[in-house]
Amino acid sequence: MRKFLISFLFLSLIFALVACGGEEESSDAEGSSESQGGEASVSVDASLNVAYPTNLQTLDPHLTTNQSTRDVSRQIYEQLLTLNENYEVVPSLAESYEVSEDGLVYTFHLREGVTFHNGEEMQAEDVVASMEKWMETSTQGKANLTGAEFVEVDPYTVELHIDQASLIIPYVLADTAPFPAIVPKESVESAVETGLTEYIGTGPFQLEEWNVDQYIHLTRFDEYQSREEESSGLAGKKEALVKDIYFRIVTDPSTRVAGVSTGEYDIAMDIPLDSAEQLSSSAGVDPVYSDGGISTYVFNNKAGAFADAALRQAFNTALNAQEAMTAAYTNEEFFKLDSGLALPSQVNWHSEAGRENYNQGDIEKAKQLVEESSYSGEELTILTTKDYQDHYNLAVVAQQVLEAIGVKAKLDVYDWPTFQEIRTEPTNYDMFAMTFAVRPTLHQYPFLDSKAEYPGWTDSEEIDHLLDEITEQKNFEDAKPLVDELQQVVWDYLPVAKVGNQQDLVAVSDKVKGYTDLIGPIFWNVSKSE
Amino acid sequence: MLKYTIQRLFSLIPILLVVAVIVFLLAHMTPGDPVTVLLGDEASEEAKAELRHELGFDLPVYTQFVNWFTGVVTGDLGMSFFLKKPVTEVFADYLGPTISLAIYAQIIAIVISLFLGVIAAKKRGTFTDQTVMGFSLLGISVPSFLVGLFLILLFAVQLQWFPVAGYRPLSEGLWEHLRYLTLPAIALGMMQAGLITRMTRSSMLDVMKSNYIKTAKSKGLHQNRITYKHALRNSFIPILTVIGESFGTLITGAAVVETVFNIPGIGQLIVNSIERRDFTVIQGTVLLITVTYVLLNLTVDLLYGVVDPRVRLNRKK
Repeated sequence: MRKFLISFLFLSLIFALVACGGEEESSDAEGSSESQGGEASVSVDASLNVAYPTNLQTLDPHLTTNQSTRDVSRQIYEQLLTLNENYEVVPSLAESYEVSEDGLVYTFHLREGVTFHNGEEMQAEDVVASMEKWMETSTQGKANLTGAEFVEVDPYTVELHIDQASLIIPYVLADTAPFPAIVPKESVESAVETGLTEYIGTGPFQLEEWNVDQYIHLTRFDEYQSREEESSGLAGKKEALVKDIYFRIVTDPSTRVAGVSTGEYDIAMDIPLDSAEQLSSSAGVDPVYSDGGISTYVFNNKAGAFADAALRQAFNTALNAQEAMTAAYTNEEFFKLDSGLALPSQVNWHSEAGRENYNQGDIEKAKQLVEESSYSGEELTILTTKDYQDHYNLAVVAQQVLEAIGVKAKLDVYDWPTFQEIRTEPTNYDMFAMTFAVRPTLHQYPFLDSKAEYPGWTDSEEIDHLLDEITEQKNFEDAKPLVDELQQVVWDYLPVAKVGNQQDLVAVSDKVKGYTDLIGPIFWNVSKSE
Repeated sequence: MLKYTIQRLFSLIPILLVVAVIVFLLAHMTPGDPVTVLLGDEASEEAKAELRHELGFDLPVYTQFVNWFTGVVTGDLGMSFFLKKPVTEVFADYLGPTISLAIYAQIIAIVISLFLGVIAAKKRGTFTDQTVMGFSLLGISVPSFLVGLFLILLFAVQLQWFPVAGYRPLSEGLWEHLRYLTLPAIALGMMQAGLITRMTRSSMLDVMKSNYIKTAKSKGLHQNRITYKHALRNSFIPILTVIGESFGTLITGAAVVETVFNIPGIGQLIVNSIERRDFTVIQGTVLLITVTYVLLNLTVDLLYGVVDPRVRLNRKK
């Protein structure tokens, strides 16, 4: 007994020491944080350490929709047009652009004196080569610019010739992933089937070293030619205020949280929302929230029970969006309820049409709709993955909703690459939960257009027709009624059931100033004090 | 001895053949494809099919196996689809951190466990013995990722003695190298320490009962000389077996610790390659690990003779 007591006291002492150590550290950190407020000076030679959650598969932004490629590439490359903080299209590498009366020719006047990281000046031949590569390899280029052609007029003027006028062309050219980065003509010529082999852009940072699976090291491009307009979103003035950026690949979320708390990292991306409380109590670290995208349930419209619109409507009628989003994102701070496919800040695309069908949570009415549907008691399969916790949590909610309205359902859980493959076969499942990054136009969400053949296989002539009709309009004033109509049809047909808009959480050290986000992180105009 | 070594090396061939077939089939039967990983979730089926064709991923599985295996026989393990390097080069790049980590973890495990094992044997049945055995049980049963997270919380976040994660190569200085490797090495070495402590204790207890130990005692030899010169050396064969086997486990089982501490080693390479379905790297790395494992076992077998002259193979009768 005496020995037991001695052991117990010994262990208690260890824990007490640990606890005291923590408190002392915490108060020290607070003290130093306050003093930094007064004495901190911005260092132009600072290194920004960013804990980044996923490995990069490629640094060719033309090729992929992967967010990791987008997030790093946008610091290196630029495009002709880009988006400002209101998601409006503005010139970037183009000084200006104009559209012909018939809408079939876009003329881009290039900025003079813009140099690539290899020291060569960007000229029309580079733009033509880059845009042709992008049109050939990117999903967006293939889908929206079939038959289009870029033509060099003179070294600083390029024309885009298209077969059919389209309102969304500038948005497609300003898209963020896969984005039409302008690279030297030689880089295009040396590219292989898996993409670029050299990574040269015109952006404020240049690639110094890519140590695959470990880090990507970018350095300030001293010859960078910035625009002079006020900085806004991805547009306007860009200044590289730190000398180096290290994207350190840290796949374990708890390591990212611990690392930003100790100052090992200055910024930690993709922080699990349940760590928000821990972060807010960490001295010297601020949580930053940004628009993460939209959360949805994607139905299999091609085969199985949800091919019947009545059952899709039954599920949507029973769905309580507030409860589902709380289950997925833990707290109301981390999501917003909204029925529109576009964010409210995307003024040209946001619509509240069909809002009455959103967030109903009406189980009784839903049961009635199930009765009226062709559902005959079979067990439905909800495909999901634990690689994205919010997808999994939403899938669990879907199972409960279905069971509440008398529909049997099971979860099929796979790792992400397996999930992606299983999802391509219509007989494998009935629905899955999915989040989509914000897109500049509704057309770029893959689940609307039947031609995209995205899993779920939306096949609505009405939606296809409205998508086409919108592109045929001369301006957004004319397009607005059609956008409303499209949103209403989406709520009636239900290719997906929109649940809400989720927020992304980034942890930023208070030594870092100026961090912003627009469909991904922005590291220019970001400074760090020592 | 030479004949025995050559025989053992030849026995590698059927093992490698079986491993090659199984790994190839497992990799290719697992759903998921590298083209989707590369092009992204929203890429069209048409774009994926085009790239699959260009890279030869749409060839029949047996054709792909024959192509790959022909290369393996000639020493070419193929090119990594994502890393754009030969697999052997990739393996060499990632082996360094894992070897460093495994050696450091093994040293920690051996130092702790020999010390504790001998003490436990000497103080058999006492409170010290029970505490040591409790510690070793804890080491064996607590998963390494949990130990890792606990160490991060205590020594990196609270006390800030060590960095949270990361890796610095030896070229950046020994101190910096060890500073980054200490916590992961402890996390990884804990289980080995537990195993070796138990083996040391039980092996020492067996030897301590031997007649020659009693003789040594009766001759009036000092207790420490009996323990360390006579008992420990003679009880070392089973301990060496555990050390040898556990070193293999350290190399192959470091995946979790490497992920938690973000160390670019073989474990992380395999995890990342599985995530991106980089088939040639998965296949090549597993083959090379098999070779490493078999060679380690052979080394341990040969070391028996060094430690204990009674098991030397070339001893003439």
